[in-house]
Amino acid sequence: MAQPLPPSRTGSVGPPSAGGMGAPPASTPGGQGPNSQQNLNQIVLEYLNKKGYNRTEAMLRKESHNLDPNGQPIITRVGDSGGKKWSPAFKLVKHWIENGLDIYKPELVRLEWPLFVHAFLTCVSDCYYDEAQNFFKEFRGEFEEERSQELQVLAKIHVPEHVQTNELASVYRREKYAVALSPMAWAMLVEFLEARDRDGGDVIFATLTEHIRVVTFNRATTARGLQKLMEEKESENKRGVMWGGEGIPSHKPGSANTDPNASSALNKLSLAPMPMEADLMEDVRADLSHDDSMHPPAPGQSTLVDQFEKTIKQEPQDDAAPSRDAIPFPPSTARDVAMEVQKVRENRDRFKIEGRTGGVGPGVSVTMFTFHNTFDSVNCIEFSGDNALVAIGTAESYIRVWSLDNRALTSPQDPPGFQASSSRRLIGHSGPVYGISFSPSAALPEPATNGHTTSAGASETQPRYMLSCSADSTIRLWSLDTWTNLVVYRSHNSPVWDVRFCPHGHYFVSSSADRTARLWSTPQIAPLRLFVGHDADVETIAWHPNGAYVFTGSGVGDKTVRVWSVTRGEQVRIFTGHTGNITAIACAPNGHVVASADDKGEIMLWDLRTGEKTKTLKGHGRGGIWSLDWSVESSVLVSGGADKTVRVWDVQPNKEMQAKANGENGTSAKTDGATTGGGGAVSKTGKAKGPVVSPDQISCFQTKKSPVYKVRFTQMNLVMAGGAYLELA
Amino acid sequence: MSVWNPENVTDVAESIGIASLNREVVEHLSRDVEYRISEVLTEALKFMRHAKRTTLTTQDVSQALRLLDVEPLYGYDSTRPLRFGEASIGPGQPLFYVEDEEVDFEKLINAPLPKVPREISFTAHWLAVEGVQPSIPQNPISTQSNAELATRGPGANSTLAALSGNDNQGVKPPVKHVLSKELQLYFDRVAPAIMDETNEDYRTAAFASLKTDTGIHQLVPYFVQFVANKVTHNLKSTFILLQSMQLVAALLENPSLYMAPYVPSIVPSVLTCLIGKNLGSPSDMADDVHFALRDFSASLLSSIARRYGPTSSTLKPRIARSCLSNLLDSNKPVGTHYGAVLGLTFIAGAAGVRSLLVPNLKAYDAHLQRILFDNSTGLRRPEAEFVVRALMRALEVLEQDAVAGMQNGHPEGQALRERLVEAIGEVMGAAVFESGRQGLANAVLEKDLAV
Repeated sequence: MAQPLPPSRTGSVGPPSAGGMGAPPASTPGGQGPNSQQNLNQIVLEYLNKKGYNRTEAMLRKESHNLDPNGQPIITRVGDSGGKKWSPAFKLVKHWIENGLDIYKPELVRLEWPLFVHAFLTCVSDCYYDEAQNFFKEFRGEFEEERSQELQVLAKIHVPEHVQTNELASVYRREKYAVALSPMAWAMLVEFLEARDRDGGDVIFATLTEHIRVVTFNRATTARGLQKLMEEKESENKRGVMWGGEGIPSHKPGSANTDPNASSALNKLSLAPMPMEADLMEDVRADLSHDDSMHPPAPGQSTLVDQFEKTIKQEPQDDAAPSRDAIPFPPSTARDVAMEVQKVRENRDRFKIEGRTGGVGPGVSVTMFTFHNTFDSVNCIEFSGDNALVAIGTAESYIRVWSLDNRALTSPQDPPGFQASSSRRLIGHSGPVYGISFSPSAALPEPATNGHTTSAGASETQPRYMLSCSADSTIRLWSLDTWTNLVVYRSHNSPVWDVRFCPHGHYFVSSSADRTARLWSTPQIAPLRLFVGHDADVETIAWHPNGAYVFTGSGVGDKTVRVWSVTRGEQVRIFTGHTGNITAIACAPNGHVVASADDKGEIMLWDLRTGEKTKTLKGHGRGGIWSLDWSVESSVLVSGGADKTVRVWDVQPNKEMQAKANGENGTSAKTDGATTGGGGAVSKTGKAKGPVVSPDQISCFQTKKSPVYKVRFTQMNLVMAGGAYLELA
Repeated sequence: MSVWNPENVTDVAESIGIASLNREVVEHLSRDVEYRISEVLTEALKFMRHAKRTTLTTQDVSQALRLLDVEPLYGYDSTRPLRFGEASIGPGQPLFYVEDEEVDFEKLINAPLPKVPREISFTAHWLAVEGVQPSIPQNPISTQSNAELATRGPGANSTLAALSGNDNQGVKPPVKHVLSKELQLYFDRVAPAIMDETNEDYRTAAFASLKTDTGIHQLVPYFVQFVANKVTHNLKSTFILLQSMQLVAALLENPSLYMAPYVPSIVPSVLTCLIGKNLGSPSDMADDVHFALRDFSASLLSSIARRYGPTSSTLKPRIARSCLSNLLDSNKPVGTHYGAVLGLTFIAGAAGVRSLLVPNLKAYDAHLQRILFDNSTGLRRPEAEFVVRALMRALEVLEQDAVAGMQNGHPEGQALRERLVEAIGEVMGAAVFESGRQGLANAVLEKDLAV
């Protein structure tokens, strides 16, 4: 490593060789030629010798050693070799990390990626085009697995202007990349870099201080001890384990506080359900007792009033509830009463999914709605909350709504004698429609009166509005009574990727390619809040069930899930860890866990209170998990994606993992080790076939050639899935 | 250095009048072009992803251009793939271009409108019921590849996996089909008794038992299998075939058996006995014994169709289709044709005869004539008569169905004969005419009028 490198274009040190090395000696005018240089040295030496300046002479002799016979400086420092310095320097530190102590390896490995990126970007900025490309080609293979999307972006960067204009590159240059190291590893690294100063250590060190923020904290004191880290590392991959706060928006794990000096304590969130209005509660109670007297509960069933009291009393001990004053809603109507009554009834009567019982996952029923003759033009599918309507947004800019029960979709504006069919086309957008959301609704049961058929027409709790967003950067509100467009919301200045109604109606959020998410209320045409902070497109969006928080997920360059407070409009949590574009987010109905999925086929579960990742669910193939949903009891997660499967996941935290984390007695740890060893063997054999499936998968249902665009749990715990059948491929 | 060829930059520069461009500039520009192109692609991929597609379309690219504030390229659409042509501008220097066909405007305007694409529609089915994927046509067949989808772990439910056929551990179904000793004995006795050519009493006793016994439901699949076996392996013996058919008839007759699930497995055997190519030994062929078998199978088939047709929408059309295709295959022997005609008559009834058989009679006539009048195959003549008789019977069904005395002034004599011949061919026309039944002739000709 230390051998002198042939001189080339040098960057910071050493003058560029104007004359060129091929220039014949003594031909250059002005006495700057190598020969005259040597002669000059000779003359000086003779002069010093004559005068008896022995020490000065010795010094000159020593220093002139560093010049080659042609008078060019011999470069002994890697750091002086211009664009070529990066490859040996990077190799040096990489080699050290790989041969270092095993306990620090998972931490130190995480340094390689930011070093690689900055080495490449600096190299390009300094105009060493070829060296930059060679460096990139030499080491990109190391990161292909985890960072393929970033690599694709970086690969196209060729000249310094690109570094400045490219979004990803400028984010990396502007922000510091945070990496966590334990103090010991950090000290060892610094020591090593200083010792190998001449071999490129200084180059790496400069990059470290300039672009990377190393957070030192003692892992032994945290729950994620080093021991655990190593175990995870073995089971996962050789790329080490991502620390919760790693990445560009350098922040404490989970916390949204980007101030490095902030305390790591997380501010509390109000995760309890939104309290009910007093008037509404009275009305609901009256309705329920009326209902109870009309239809006395079957033996073994509780009365509806009891059920209602139970749900109200469920006030959690440590969670604050958001106040109704902070998030005002219009006064409740008879429709709200009917919906609440229905919710209580469903709470009592539904098929309960209790999660894993006796070590066995529950069986879930899935109805699949397959769309035919679509020619791949369907962009999104959405079911209404009362299970009566389905809407698709198409690439041809229109929206089409069907009634699932073949009921005619009538409108008071229909001309007399008009034969309404069971589907409606809503035309208004001028670009592909990417997101649809129905206003909240509840399915009313058929009144079981004998002989009396329900009047053909909509029940009073049907959804009345629908939102859609499109590439024309508008959001439109549609009336489902007249099937017409009511409002156009313009504020985004790029395609709007997703739009969601608040669980209580009235408000909605949208997310766009302009890197913002915006909060709106339906009666106002200007947004109420702007959620700004993502460094890339906000790809998907979700609500907390109590309506006080919004979740956003973004694409390459950021890849974070962020939690925003609706009342204050600021981020309260940041979750880092996804390796691909985030394609779907869903918060559990109990309000404590949020699930996010990416297009690499991973689903991650985050605990909102502690800000920690609780689980990673693997099994989906590449190409995007388009939709996630939770069972009403928050016990089971269901996902559907481009790999044409619907999968059911166990979300309860693994008991074995917990036992290990708690560091219980040695025997149990040993048995656990044995079982995980067995599991490892199994996954090793499975690896040859396809993607690793994590043991949390309860079941997997394949469709015939239909990618699944939407999965949804109904209030009665039936899964509805929607997809488009693709004849080709 | 870059993927983008610097010569392209030189070409473009020359085309806009910049003759000489510094080499450095060219390289710099080509690097920049490459960057811009991949920038567009990155954006286009975003649009592809949000449309939940896996193929990039020209639409995505033009959306991306719009987002990047570049004027979109017009004239490309996604409905048909772009075809690239290749031209050589020198050794090892291929030049690619998009093939741009010349469209004749006149032709384009006068071309018939393309077919309207089919409407988007949706269907619903059960992807899973309580964690088990039902094996219905809408779901993929569980194959070996499914095995890797199954999981082992604390949350995995091995029973669910097994029920879905996703277990790769070779688990046998936990519940075996248990046949009681008595039933086994019953089967062992009855099956040979039916096939016993020597003892008539045995046979009748066995059939009587099958027709009435209430407790043999568990044996039905075994008998169905037995019949299928016997029929496939004993095509030479009309006796065994006939007995097999009798067995099926007996089972169908038994009021306490629920036969609907077995109909799809019975029908192929019965069809074999109806339209099989060579049924019975050569001596039987001469005796025309096999016609009796065909007659019996036909009536059996018609009773099946009557009873189970309403519950299975595809049953009747399927049988009718195979009968018709056999009839129109002139390579098949006369016996097959005979069976096919019978089958059609019984299955499809008057309406079927009118719509399926009568229109095809003229085409069939040529074949019929050849068999009837070709002296070299003299032996087949009597067989052909059977076919003529069967066809007559089919036409008689028409007569019964027709409303009597619909028209007056129907043609008579030679005119009638000519029209009949024209409608249903030489042989059958003559036969109908000779029968001298005005009603029959009218019924046959009615089809013409109707059309």
